Amino acid sequence: MKPERIASLPASPAEPTAGAVPAPVWLFVAMGLLAFWSLHFLEADAGGFSHKVYRPYTSLASIEALQPKSEGDVMFASGQRVFTIYCTVCHQPTGQGLPNQFPPLAASEWVAAPSPNRIIRLVLDGIQGPITVKGVGFNGAMPPWRELLKDEEIAAVLTYVRGNQNWGNSAPPVTPEQVKAIRDKVAARSAWLPDELLKVAETE
Amino acid sequence: MNRGPYLFLGVFCAMALSWVGLILQPQLQIGWGRQETNVLNTLELYPQARPGLAQQGLQVYRSLGCATCHSRQIRQTGASFDVGLTGAGTNVPELVQAILKVKPDLTPAQATQQAERLPAILVASVDKATADAAVTNLSVGGAKAVANLVALGPDIARGWGSGRSVAADYLFEQPALLGSQRVGPDLANVGLRMPGRAWHFLHLYDPRAVVPGSVMPPYRFLFEARKVGAKPSPEVLRLSGPTPKFDAGGTRTNWTTPESIQLTAAAAPPSGFEIVPTDDAQALVAYLLSLRTDVPLFERPLSAALAPPGAGTTNVVVTPAPAPAPTPAPAP
Amino acid sequence: MASLKFHAPQLLAGSAWLTYGRLQPAATHALLYGFAVPAGLGVVLWLTARLGRVPLQLPGVAFVGGVVWNLGVKLGLLGILVGDSTGYEWLEMPRYAAPIVFAGYSLVAVSALLTFKDRRESQLYVSQWFVLAAVFWFPWIFSTAELLVSFAPLRGVMPTVVAWWYAGNLANLWFGFIGLAILFYLLPTLLNRPLYSQYHAMLAFWVLVLFGGGCGIPQSAPLPAWMPGVSTVCSLFTLVAVVAVAINLYRTSASGRPDGSPFPFALVVFSATAYVVAGFLNSAAALPSVAAITDFTFFTPARTQLWVYGFFGVAVFAAMYHILPRVLGFALPSSRLVKLHAGCAMTGLALSVAALASGGLAQGRGLNDPEVAFLEALRPGLMALRLSTLGDLLIFAGQLALCLNLAAALVGWCRRGFLPVLAAAAKPDAVEAGR
Repeated sequence: MKPERIASLPASPAEPTAGAVPAPVWLFVAMGLLAFWSLHFLEADAGGFSHKVYRPYTSLASIEALQPKSEGDVMFASGQRVFTIYCTVCHQPTGQGLPNQFPPLAASEWVAAPSPNRIIRLVLDGIQGPITVKGVGFNGAMPPWRELLKDEEIAAVLTYVRGNQNWGNSAPPVTPEQVKAIRDKVAARSAWLPDELLKVAETE
Repeated sequence: MNRGPYLFLGVFCAMALSWVGLILQPQLQIGWGRQETNVLNTLELYPQARPGLAQQGLQVYRSLGCATCHSRQIRQTGASFDVGLTGAGTNVPELVQAILKVKPDLTPAQATQQAERLPAILVASVDKATADAAVTNLSVGGAKAVANLVALGPDIARGWGSGRSVAADYLFEQPALLGSQRVGPDLANVGLRMPGRAWHFLHLYDPRAVVPGSVMPPYRFLFEARKVGAKPSPEVLRLSGPTPKFDAGGTRTNWTTPESIQLTAAAAPPSGFEIVPTDDAQALVAYLLSLRTDVPLFERPLSAALAPPGAGTTNVVVTPAPAPAPTPAPAP
Repeated sequence: MASLKFHAPQLLAGSAWLTYGRLQPAATHALLYGFAVPAGLGVVLWLTARLGRVPLQLPGVAFVGGVVWNLGVKLGLLGILVGDSTGYEWLEMPRYAAPIVFAGYSLVAVSALLTFKDRRESQLYVSQWFVLAAVFWFPWIFSTAELLVSFAPLRGVMPTVVAWWYAGNLANLWFGFIGLAILFYLLPTLLNRPLYSQYHAMLAFWVLVLFGGGCGIPQSAPLPAWMPGVSTVCSLFTLVAVVAVAINLYRTSASGRPDGSPFPFALVVFSATAYVVAGFLNSAAALPSVAAITDFTFFTPARTQLWVYGFFGVAVFAAMYHILPRVLGFALPSSRLVKLHAGCAMTGLALSVAALASGGLAQGRGLNDPEVAFLEALRPGLMALRLSTLGDLLIFAGQLALCLNLAAALVGWCRRGFLPVLAAAAKPDAVEAGR
């Protein structure tokens, strides 16, 4: 089909024009209100534009709070209870101990050792004699807890002590199985001497 | 508004905003997705790539347009917590006291009974603070208590999934056919809900035989009728006898009474012939059986079930019903 | 005929012997790319030439473009029926059909843009803004979508996001704009008075341009919460545009009577009403609380049908009835067929949409109640489907009437010799190639 140009289109009414009535103010006001509402909506519902927040959750923090806790957290809470009942008498609620009498647990290298085998032995059977903690010497006696506390309780209190970040400790938790293993391996005995305990290898 | 180029420029910039907002930004956020770790078992990566047959099945799913009737996404409207007791520990009397503190409406005898029947859900459908407080109270003497997150929502209540669908679920889907209609039930977890291969073949061949009242068209062209040889072929469809039946929403209907397959008239093969699935049907069913999204992820927190799913019984002590009110004496 | 046959999509009601899963995407593809877009392009060409007071430039190119487009759409249709659909809604076109379709569009767009550049009337009328924006925007959304979905697909759920973005843009920024261009042109022309206000139109234009593209993400999507949230906000802002358009059109038409045949005017009014209703329904469905009921139900196809057919389709029919007599030089052969078509289209559509929407709402309520068995929840939807199939059949009957009319008109045109009115080249193409 060969296109032919034409001079003008067939006669028709003039093309429409548009009037000049200004847009209504109330519509702009409505838009402004809508903008305000939208900001509020996005703040509440958009999860901070994070790619990890899905409905119905509204913030990253709320999802983080819902992540399953490790066993350690539950033990921590129980351990705090055990510590308050049995250990604060000497080691004080702050874990600082008393100078010349009871060694501190806060930021103690004994507590922070990678493996808890020494402190498990220490709690089970007690310790006495000269001991150096954080460069300061102490010479007292700690009673054994083998008969008074069960494996779960010892594990809980050690988890609490080792993991108490207010004291500056952030060592891994202790499980009841670890306590049981050492309880079975080491028969009930008299209190450890610190040097004896230090000779116990990390892996035992 | 009269200068063409300025109009074009202005319009283009404004419209490009939607491109930046809805394509560039999401691509930066979720487009580079990697496999994530299952938050409960950090060794397990999710999602796992599908085996080859299931990948082919995805293409069959696409080409047959299954997504026009079936959706594959679960919605969630909220989350609540159940407090469960999993281990009694060594100090049972203390545990019983703790149980009474958490559930004051039990008698001591019932609480002792409860402490023996574990695992059990003690408190259901509470908020996080209450659940955490209950867990702390119950963790005495080595007792193990957990606060389990339970996702809420109509899709979840129908058993279509345990938590909402998230972008990570579709990481290896090419194409990700989410579906926007539910003329048929949602298929996000059909591999978990309906794990029977034979059932799926039968359903594709003749939906009304296993789902009474189904509106799904029969996909008989996915099967071929073969003359029965000396022995029936290993993949032959069993067209009679007992079968699980589901309602149209995917809920099993006959747990105890066996029901038998009732083929519709048009589906019966001519005598001397057996029905065998083609490769497409095998691939499609392999794909359907691979569909599951029950893994807890960071953005979809879920808790492991306390008791295995199934008939829905958990060891919850039932508080006795209140004594019936005495019936009033009839008026004289 | 083929493209008109595709107007009757749903073959449900419990006796689907053809694979519904292939037929439905094929029907959507045909409705959008076989009918809606080419019809819109034809109107674009005519409006650009008319409002620029200049004859269409390169009409041969436009003609070739139309043929190429239709070839591509037919290829795509066959591909879907064979099983090569991409699976994404509104983007079902198989990979091999997409470049052809794109090429066809580009050719037509070249003609339209050259005509625009050569315009003699420097004052741009309202419709021209919308038309220009749409003409430019389609290649961008189409190529982006095809690239990221079919040719170099993104990972995971991203192609679905791109497909949703594309669908939202196509609906609001292409169908919406061209439909509005038609309404803003036809209403004043038929009533022989000026459009109420260009500032209202300007407000609607810029609001839609800014927010119309962000409306595509459904509320139930497995995406981070901010994405459906952004869609909600954008959808609500488009309400402002809908209101501005409604005021504009209503004030223009207040106490006006059309001269000439009443039917283009009736169609225009129907289309404008459909626009406002669909606009409100779309914004409502973007609210999370409403979407919780309407998602995954027949409410969504109801909305889509109202927008694509009730608003855009009917507007295009009105434009067709206005343009064709001017282009052909003579009135359409049978005004009875015109009435039949218009009446069937409007009634059928109203019936279909109303049935699907109410069925969808009932279905949604049932789906949200876990006590209700799935089939019980679906039942009101199925009954609504039967009614809507009736509505679709009515529309189909109307389309047949239109086709007969157009066929007779073409025969008459051929008989009277080729009139050198070049804007005609594009409009009958869409119908001719559809036969």
